[in-house]
Amino acid sequence: MAERRSKPKGADKATPATPATRATPQQPVRGEKVGVYVCHCGGNISDVVDVDRVATEASQLEGVAVARHIMFMCSDEGQKAIVDDIEALGLDRVVVAACTPKLHEATFRRALQRGGMNPYLFLPANIREQASWAHPHSPKAATEKAIALVRAAVAKAEMLEPLDKVRVAAVHRSLVIGGGVAGLRAALDLARQGVGVTLIEKSPFLGGRSVQLHTVFPTEDPARPLVHRLIDEVKAERNVSILTNTEVVALTGYVGDFTITLRTTPRGVSRDLRKSAEAIAACPVKVANEFNDGIDERKAIYQPYPGSEPDLPAIDWATCTRCGDCLTAAGAGIDLNAEPVETRIEAGAIVVATGFDHYQPRPGEYGYAASPRVVTLPQVHRMLDPEGPTGGRLEIDGRVPRSVAFIHCVGSRQIEGVDEPGPAGKLHEYCSRVCCTATLQAANELRKKYPDTAVYDLYRDIRTYGRDQEPYYVDSSKKGVVFMRFANEDRPKVEVVEGANYPLKVTVTDTLTFGAEIEVPVDLVILSVGVQPRDISEFIDMTHAPVGADGFLLEVHPKLRPVESAIPGLLLAGTVQAPMDITESTSAASAAAAKVTALLASDHVEMEPFVAKVDPSRCDGCGLCLDACHYAGAIALQDVEIEEGVVEKRAYVNPVACKGCGACVPSCPVSALDVASWEIDQYKAMIDAITAQPLIAGAR
Amino acid sequence: MTDQRIDTDALVVGAGIAGLQSALDLADRGYKVLLVEKTASIGGKMIALSKVFPTMDCASCITTPRMSSAAHHDNITTWTYTDVDSIAPDGTAFTAHLTRKARYVDEDLCIGCRLCEYACPVELPHEFEGNMGARRAAYIPFGTAIPQKALIDIDACVYCGKCEKACPTDAIDFGQEPVSVTVHARSVVIATGFETTPLDAKKEYRGGVAANVISALDMERLLSPNGPYGRVLRPSDGKIPDSVAYVQCAGSRDETLGVPYCSRVCCMYAIKQTMLLSGSLPLADITVYYMDIRAFGKGYEQFYQTARSMGINFVKAKVARIEEEPNGDLRLRVEIIEEDGRVTEAVHDLVVLSVGLKPGDDPRRFIGVDLDQYGFVASPEPKLDATLTSMPGVAAAGTAIGPKDIVDSIVEASAAATKIATYLGPPPNSPQVPEDGLAVDVREIKAGDALAVAGRSEVQRG
Repeated sequence: MAERRSKPKGADKATPATPATRATPQQPVRGEKVGVYVCHCGGNISDVVDVDRVATEASQLEGVAVARHIMFMCSDEGQKAIVDDIEALGLDRVVVAACTPKLHEATFRRALQRGGMNPYLFLPANIREQASWAHPHSPKAATEKAIALVRAAVAKAEMLEPLDKVRVAAVHRSLVIGGGVAGLRAALDLARQGVGVTLIEKSPFLGGRSVQLHTVFPTEDPARPLVHRLIDEVKAERNVSILTNTEVVALTGYVGDFTITLRTTPRGVSRDLRKSAEAIAACPVKVANEFNDGIDERKAIYQPYPGSEPDLPAIDWATCTRCGDCLTAAGAGIDLNAEPVETRIEAGAIVVATGFDHYQPRPGEYGYAASPRVVTLPQVHRMLDPEGPTGGRLEIDGRVPRSVAFIHCVGSRQIEGVDEPGPAGKLHEYCSRVCCTATLQAANELRKKYPDTAVYDLYRDIRTYGRDQEPYYVDSSKKGVVFMRFANEDRPKVEVVEGANYPLKVTVTDTLTFGAEIEVPVDLVILSVGVQPRDISEFIDMTHAPVGADGFLLEVHPKLRPVESAIPGLLLAGTVQAPMDITESTSAASAAAAKVTALLASDHVEMEPFVAKVDPSRCDGCGLCLDACHYAGAIALQDVEIEEGVVEKRAYVNPVACKGCGACVPSCPVSALDVASWEIDQYKAMIDAITAQPLIAGAR
Repeated sequence: MTDQRIDTDALVVGAGIAGLQSALDLADRGYKVLLVEKTASIGGKMIALSKVFPTMDCASCITTPRMSSAAHHDNITTWTYTDVDSIAPDGTAFTAHLTRKARYVDEDLCIGCRLCEYACPVELPHEFEGNMGARRAAYIPFGTAIPQKALIDIDACVYCGKCEKACPTDAIDFGQEPVSVTVHARSVVIATGFETTPLDAKKEYRGGVAANVISALDMERLLSPNGPYGRVLRPSDGKIPDSVAYVQCAGSRDETLGVPYCSRVCCMYAIKQTMLLSGSLPLADITVYYMDIRAFGKGYEQFYQTARSMGINFVKAKVARIEEEPNGDLRLRVEIIEEDGRVTEAVHDLVVLSVGLKPGDDPRRFIGVDLDQYGFVASPEPKLDATLTSMPGVAAAGTAIGPKDIVDSIVEASAAATKIATYLGPPPNSPQVPEDGLAVDVREIKAGDALAVAGRSEVQRG
């Protein structure tokens, strides 16, 4: 069958530059010397399953050359046993009965490779999650089940064929999405290691959330100079192209060779604009200023702060009326008729650094929106910024508040039955990690700046966990911040009191004073709002990137692969993954850069060979599989010379685009399709093996 | 002493999880790495843990593959039982002096059969098991150790020669001497890890005196399926505990101990252990005395709430002192911070001190990097580049920089690898950035100009 398959003609974009190498088709050779290894998992398995019996039963199966049980198969000792047996006994298939293949399939494949075997002649049997952990109180039945699973694995293993990885030519460039500290850090690290970078930022300005702070904890460095230093370093790299006002609108391809369509919204302003101030002054539109978290207004042509990057205003097309007043005032440098431009780029890997949003309190939550005197911590950050809208003064109605109460965990650590779910119907059960330290930093600053202002801090647990963060907690106590602790289920209440000396009354059941109900009269309530996932649902739809229960993008494994998405080639950097502070975000970004450079360390990327395959001797070119296929370009009909001078259509699988989902397999009326290593005949053999012996009824 | 010389791209000091990850990332990139570890096995503290929060994966299951990958990586040379004596810049690179300590076993000949261990008559407290189990003077450090090579504790050895007779490969060598090695390394990663704060740091807690006051690291071994007793028993009399207390911050957030900082992991490991305990001792009462519960990482708060809903008793309180009763039980004098603020006494039959983290080594002993006041490696750029050190070409990762959990250590280790790779420049045979293959519009935008993109006209101007 192999000789008759000619190369597909008209290789298009989706075909890798380096042809995908496949197993040399040959008559499948049945395994005759199977090695079976049963893992104790240090008791995780052997406390329930009789591993000795499993091994003994396995040793009596036809084709099994050796069966052993070992304390930790994943340890060096376990792996060495496989390698040694391959050499000594000439094993031709290997079955390891242990934990989920998610953990150690790769480990054991490498062991086979070290022993000189094709790594795909390995098969895992999961007797931990599927036997010992599933039936902890039924050791006999669990043992029987483990034996059946091993029998099935041996039956399938004997039918496995050697496979080779799919190789894709890699583009030595990357796309970094997001121009905050994480994206900037990743871009800089990649560029400095010789990987080309396209850095895109959705808003018209770089710097992300960090530039809204005036100082960063715990160094107390001014935030904007810090971030701008990073921006300047990125700009100095030749390998980086930076596009602001730019979003991903389409994405195709795979690790090593993504094709991404970017849409850049025009800034509306060019470097020819010399009279920025005049243009901004002339604009008649006023909208809430997001940079100052809504505490003041900006125009439709705006610049968040002097010296922003780029140091040019931008036009907010959503609110601009195109009246032309700005152009009239400025004379030049403004183009109100510019159109968005789409750009197609290629990248071998993508770093997602799209950042976070602040939790938006519901109207009425702790008095929010019911009184202008209930504000959020990000708003207070803007007020305390000497370059901010109030010149660094915390003022309400032109006066410094006499008494202030911070409330922690607003939109964090939410509890079912106590808190109301947000618009997405989800509770924020997680801790937002940064708010405690940020709150105490602000509390200390208030006490220092306004010694006459009383500061109350209403908290659940103070989590100043990080390096040099505990001093904020110690200092705030010394500086006279009054701490009150509320129980998870018993939240403080904020009420507006008309005509009283203090306009707000906070009532808290303070567990630190033996559960006394305390009324705190204040001028201002500051809500320490949490971090929440930003809505990047369009991007998620494009990439199928997994999302966790908390709404943040999910890593493959928090310890084994903490900055990788399950989508190969997609890396996570910073708060798109979880709440993090600046230090943690930049470290995550540098870690993501390490994964990108390793991925693109050679001129190709290797992928698993578990893809669909066509038996051209059966295929009649009906094309039904094309409709069943979920992935663009994975199956096509190609002209194939079936015999001398006779050309017919036959299905062809592009092994790079195919994800091995198997949706095509049942669509084929002539059973010409199968997925390598997940073949129908192999499953039949497994089922036969399981049903060969009845499970002991009622075994306990 | 004999002398060896070796060249490497990166010298990684410490083969705990951070050092392993940095080494693997650099090696995957194509750099030659020399990974050195002062103890007789790689794996660090993590390999001794029972399970890890919040996923509850067994620690061995996560650590051993990393250990194995590093040990078998073509680009990594691993030396255990090796001390770093000095590392100094020598103009273009670093000259490091190392001592490969004598195992009194020829590593090349040893096949890890353990016959020497079985033959050895000397029994000693087992450090790996928190001194709760026993080991021999000739021994393999622990079951999942890498390398699986024996060593002889020469201070305890009685020179009976039984191991020598038992060894089937003649690997025992009492005449072995330490070997001095000079390494030329182009870069260095400091991953020297942590030690726990001493069990007896707070005398009033009777740690190190009362047998049933143990450290949380000891409890990790008790909870390990392959631990010293195979189950949770209290050390003094082997009783199955009915009532277990955790004392949080027993070594952290305490000015008087010189450890005013939060150790970051103790809340979470205590919560994890209480969950494991409630599984293995379903009838036991478990109480956690704490100041603040700091469950700040991804999924940690949910983990904490699960523990609360499982019935673990969390009490905000200060433990003033602990006294040992004649039967081994422990009487805790506790100031309850909440409720009525009473001072009360509680009796538990096992007390776990949630000890904190301090630097595992003093890097200044061998290299001139700046440290902070507590002895952790300091970065000149703590917000933007936490893994840098004051010396170019030297990065640091994991708990050598400060207390942190495994997830954060692993992320940081990869970050450190990035810093070193950047410093070293691309390894030989690295692909170059292609000149073509980029969409025209983007390629022609110069870095600075791109920021001012004003729409099509400017994009196309290039």
